[in-house]
Amino acid sequence: MSQAIVQAENLSLSYKSIRAVQNVSFTVNPGEILAIIGQNGSGKTTTVECTEGLRKPDGGSVLVFGKDPWLHRSQVYKQMGVQLQETEYPMRIKVAELCRLFASFYERPADWNLLLAQLGLDHKRKCPVRKLSGGERQRLSVLLSLMGRPKLLILDELTTGLDPEVRQNMWSSFENIRKNGVSIIMVSHYLDEAEALADKILYLEKGKQQFFGTQQKFREYVKSRVSPSEWKENCSLEKLYLMIAPKTTGLTMEGIG
Amino acid sequence: MKRFGVICKTEFCLFTRDFFSFFFTLVFPVLMLLLFGGIYGNMPVYEGADIRMMDLTIPAYAVMVMGVTGLMSLPLTIAGYKEKKIYKRFDATPAGKKSIMSAQVCIHFVMTLIGIIILLAAGKLLYQIRIRGTFPAICMGFLLSTASLFSMGFLFTAVGRDLKSTSLLCYLFYFVMLFLSGATMPDMLFPDSIKKFSGFLPMTHAVDLMQGVFAGDSLTRHLNEMLILGALSAVCTAIGVFLYKRQDWT
Repeated sequence: MSQAIVQAENLSLSYKSIRAVQNVSFTVNPGEILAIIGQNGSGKTTTVECTEGLRKPDGGSVLVFGKDPWLHRSQVYKQMGVQLQETEYPMRIKVAELCRLFASFYERPADWNLLLAQLGLDHKRKCPVRKLSGGERQRLSVLLSLMGRPKLLILDELTTGLDPEVRQNMWSSFENIRKNGVSIIMVSHYLDEAEALADKILYLEKGKQQFFGTQQKFREYVKSRVSPSEWKENCSLEKLYLMIAPKTTGLTMEGIG
Repeated sequence: MKRFGVICKTEFCLFTRDFFSFFFTLVFPVLMLLLFGGIYGNMPVYEGADIRMMDLTIPAYAVMVMGVTGLMSLPLTIAGYKEKKIYKRFDATPAGKKSIMSAQVCIHFVMTLIGIIILLAAGKLLYQIRIRGTFPAICMGFLLSTASLFSMGFLFTAVGRDLKSTSLLCYLFYFVMLFLSGATMPDMLFPDSIKKFSGFLPMTHAVDLMQGVFAGDSLTRHLNEMLILGALSAVCTAIGVFLYKRQDWT
């Protein structure tokens, strides 16, 4: 068994009185894709931000490449690329300038000219980043996460804002990246994406870990949580998730009627 | 080092694309020089004096340049990066936010220097100003004045919760000091009450120090200003660093 790239044990973090994540434990091995799923506010982003060394957990531990990412951030980032949930860039910077800047952060940067072409941004090289569309910014964000030829990629809402065709292309790209031994942690609300790519699932509910394991085990977990009348065989990950996710009330006409 | 060079080059490009910073650092002081030079001319400070108006105006305008970069451009850039979480994105790279902030300070310092050199060149060309001070004394005056105003701006970014509150602090302090410190109009025109108030403004001491070292005064004659500006730099930087360490950057 090869050594885990990421090892989180009983990770906990509170924001004042709110316990954002409690006792979350998971591992990611080389070449594995982990999908973190859960509702809004379930602690997905907090979990990845602790893994990225951007937040200091107040309980438990996380090791990335055997190092604490909070204490050894610059060393860990030599092998880790991230795409944050929300990213802004300097207002007047142009696409090529931003790529050149990010390339300077790494000893052996990726060929960003090639990546620009592959992600369909080649014609936007001289365009200010703020003038890019949402999808183009998302693709640029993915490009920057790949700049350091990472061994671990953390993608927070990878395909939000992308059209279906680009999403599909992105999936196959990340499948190829994984084949080269890169591990990926992805946070996504698109469960078809998680189903297509992930080896393992980490399911969070109100900051608490409900499940961590393979997709097959997740199916068994859901089956154990629902009544036989609710259970359906061979349904998609999304339908499995909807069987157990906390129910929210929809919009009624009462408030506006 | 190569990385820092690329960051500085990028920050330089961004500075030149920001109309406010570019205009008020490099162009506006020269326009002021032309305007006030046109109105008042380059008369001796008093009848029979060897020092002329422009010999005193140029160092005062040099402090105005430091104020634009240190109290407006730099803090507003930093506050904007903080608010938009741009530093957070750089923290998610091997470079980290400190190298970006260092490059921003470095570029603003260089642009201050360029702004002052342009101002001096214009003064020499248009009004044949005379600089009597020694090079080391002028350098010391420049460094202390710049450090004090930059550290004040840095403190504003640490105290301000967002871009709006930082802007408020910057505009308030910058404009009050700009008009009441002698940086734009000579303090000899002020009534006594304003002169008293002016004594509490850091920029007043920067103007006094710069005018003194340009006129050829020895540094020992300006120990008071040097101590005030040095202490201000140390205190503002220390409080700023302390507050930054307690801030949530995410």
